[in-house]
Amino acid sequence: MAVPLPVRRWHADSLIKAFFGSNALIAIVVLALITIFLFREGFGFFGKNLANIRLYRRAGLEYVDILRDSANSHAALSRSLNDIRKRAAATESADTLSRFDEFSTAFSDSAENLNGLVSDAGDKAVALRDALALLIGDVDHSGENSEQGAATPPIDEAGTIAALRANTATFATTAAALDRTIRDLLKTAPSFQDAITKRAFEYWTKKVDGYLASLPATTKKLQAWNPERPVPAYRAVTSFLFGRDWITASFWQDWYGIIPLFVGSFLVSIVALAIAVPFGVASAIYVSEVAQPAEKRFIKPYVEFIAAIPSVVLGFFGIAVVGQTIRHVSQSSFFHWVSFFPISERLNIFTAGSLLALMAVSTIFTLAEDALRNVPRGFVEASYALGANRLQTVGRVIVPASLSGIVSAILLGFGRVIGETMVVLLCAGNRIAIPDFTQGLGAFFQPVHTMTGIIAQEMGEVVRGSIHYRALFMVGLALFAITLATNYAAQKLVARYRMSIG
Amino acid sequence: MKIRTRQRIAQTTSFWIFRLATYTILAAATYIFLDIGIKGSRTLFTAHAPFINVPFLTQRPQTLFVFDYQGTKYTLSDSEFRVWKAQHPEEVEATSVAYSAGGVWPCIVGTALLVIGSMIFALAVGICSAIYLSEYSQNSRFIRLIRIAILNLAGVPSIVFGLFGFGLFVIFLHWNVSLLAGWFTLGLMILPAIITASEESLRAVPNGLREGSLALGATKWQTIRKNVLPYALPGILTSSILGISRVAGETAPIMFTAAYALRDEMPWQVQHWTDFVFQGVMALPYHIYVVSSKIPQNEYTERMQYGAACILLLLVFVIALTSIVLREKARRRLSW
Repeated sequence: MAVPLPVRRWHADSLIKAFFGSNALIAIVVLALITIFLFREGFGFFGKNLANIRLYRRAGLEYVDILRDSANSHAALSRSLNDIRKRAAATESADTLSRFDEFSTAFSDSAENLNGLVSDAGDKAVALRDALALLIGDVDHSGENSEQGAATPPIDEAGTIAALRANTATFATTAAALDRTIRDLLKTAPSFQDAITKRAFEYWTKKVDGYLASLPATTKKLQAWNPERPVPAYRAVTSFLFGRDWITASFWQDWYGIIPLFVGSFLVSIVALAIAVPFGVASAIYVSEVAQPAEKRFIKPYVEFIAAIPSVVLGFFGIAVVGQTIRHVSQSSFFHWVSFFPISERLNIFTAGSLLALMAVSTIFTLAEDALRNVPRGFVEASYALGANRLQTVGRVIVPASLSGIVSAILLGFGRVIGETMVVLLCAGNRIAIPDFTQGLGAFFQPVHTMTGIIAQEMGEVVRGSIHYRALFMVGLALFAITLATNYAAQKLVARYRMSIG
Repeated sequence: MKIRTRQRIAQTTSFWIFRLATYTILAAATYIFLDIGIKGSRTLFTAHAPFINVPFLTQRPQTLFVFDYQGTKYTLSDSEFRVWKAQHPEEVEATSVAYSAGGVWPCIVGTALLVIGSMIFALAVGICSAIYLSEYSQNSRFIRLIRIAILNLAGVPSIVFGLFGFGLFVIFLHWNVSLLAGWFTLGLMILPAIITASEESLRAVPNGLREGSLALGATKWQTIRKNVLPYALPGILTSSILGISRVAGETAPIMFTAAYALRDEMPWQVQHWTDFVFQGVMALPYHIYVVSSKIPQNEYTERMQYGAACILLLLVFVIALTSIVLREKARRRLSW
């Protein structure tokens, strides 16, 4: 009777241990599952994206885009002519202005043939693309043309491509005509009184020269274009990682490039950290080194409260109050000297960044205060014994000794900010574009879209299993990788910091 | 002497800068609290008894209808408007503003359900993991791996948890948008925080209690059950309350897993009891997202927007305050 008992107990105990151990294992399992499921849903993206890009070439959309680029640069030149017109309105005589208007109208009209060419070729290419897509069956273009299947004529792929490529000769003659028209036009260009306008116009003329010089190169590109040339498989990855366009549900061509989203997330985080780091570190130093005990007892729980504010409430506050306030401030006469004020959008990088700063401050404060408090007393006492005052002790001993702790606090703050969703979704403006950096700091007052925001916004609307759906999972995977890397760096820093003091 | 003075001035100035930075943060946060608190209390409270806006707390969100009739301006909720129309057969041109009338009762219920379910799951798994880490662990490779996983899991963005929950629970397991999917997603998100807090409380129990029990011949499990857990449990529960406030306020993980923008039935109005866990719910944070992004900001929508934001803020604060007060009390009482 007495013999089997210990054996059974031993069994029971090891079972209990195994039970608890398996619970502890869940953390690893979840981390693995997150990776697996993000991959499972997202990985098919590359195959579909490759097919998407291959079709883009095969149907001749790429060819049309070469033409379109040329037409677009012409349109951009017309637009900058309008900008000059705006500036000249204040300084030039009515006569000059009317002649200038004639000039700019003639300039924008000069591209009429080119634009016609582009839209004709575009129609042909899109028709071929849709027909081919139906044939292949798999590639979706966001449901836009899925119902056209009933009445597809038999595909004359070679014929269409040949018809498309006939445009090369047309383009060459159009370009030559354009060249002649513009050069004639330039001779009749009006002259300006105002020095700045004059310089702007001269700069514009130079750009026109550059544009005209690029026309033969475009012809060559058109000649060299070959629909048969295979698209290398790596393009599926590079067009995602380095693609500068995120265009979905368009009639033309969908692009899934993460760069605009990444830049948006990154800029918002930069603004948030630029505000949060000085405030967070300064207040951590204040609370751990300067503040009275009574102040400490009040400030620390208060900052914990700040950390507990739900992000969606902060986002709502941004929409309701902060955005308006920032725009009002930018419109006030006090800030007239700032070149990029008044700002046009109330929801922009800065609005989102300043709210995220409040979230990051609480993270940075708590962790940095921990690091400062953990500096051994001996360091501080030695510093005082050598005759240093409190500021010197803080600046030369305490902060350097806890520097890696502070840096890791900042890294974790960055991780929190870049992964934050609701504030950027509500306050960053949600325009998918890389900000115009030529405006200097004004770039921080433009709306952007972010990696987290795009997932939250588009996930609910996409067709399950479509390329767009998978692209969103890939964005999630990229986000996951970024935060893991940040976390890892922070942990490494803390580990080193422990060694250096111990 | 001169150098000493300069140093003192430098010290005073820098310390004042630090002080200013600290109080700027507190002031910014206070401004947010006051703005939402004051504008929200116009919705939440009324000037006469019972002083609390009961309809706002007990009704469903409804569409608001605004119209002029015989010189008077009416703002009626959907149900009121129907009654009014039945009494007045004339055609009126009414502007409708979505979500702006009624109350937030289903959202409160949904958030409560989500919090309860996910906290039960997270506490069960979290406490068990913490027991393993603090009571059974030797400093093995396995333990180190688990710790690294917990640390990294804590840094995963909430939207990634949302995507994961969508991929695993909603699609792979075919649970669709449901309470169950929301529970697991939120529970897994909060798990690292629960494990860390529980482990801290378990480690705070002095070793003498364990050794005494083992010396008397108790098994490991008996020791944990009788001599460790009872002393650690209050601490675990207190520090987990802070987790509740995070679960209650998160939006991103439930966006695709558990939350609906509008749902007519209350959660208990289900055909069969098994349907209960497989239904989506309305949730307060998601409702705030919807009313602040899908409808414009104006005098008609402000009531719902600020009211919902204020009630969530209030909820989270009561929870966080409870946690902080309880923790301070526990620290004073339990000094071994």
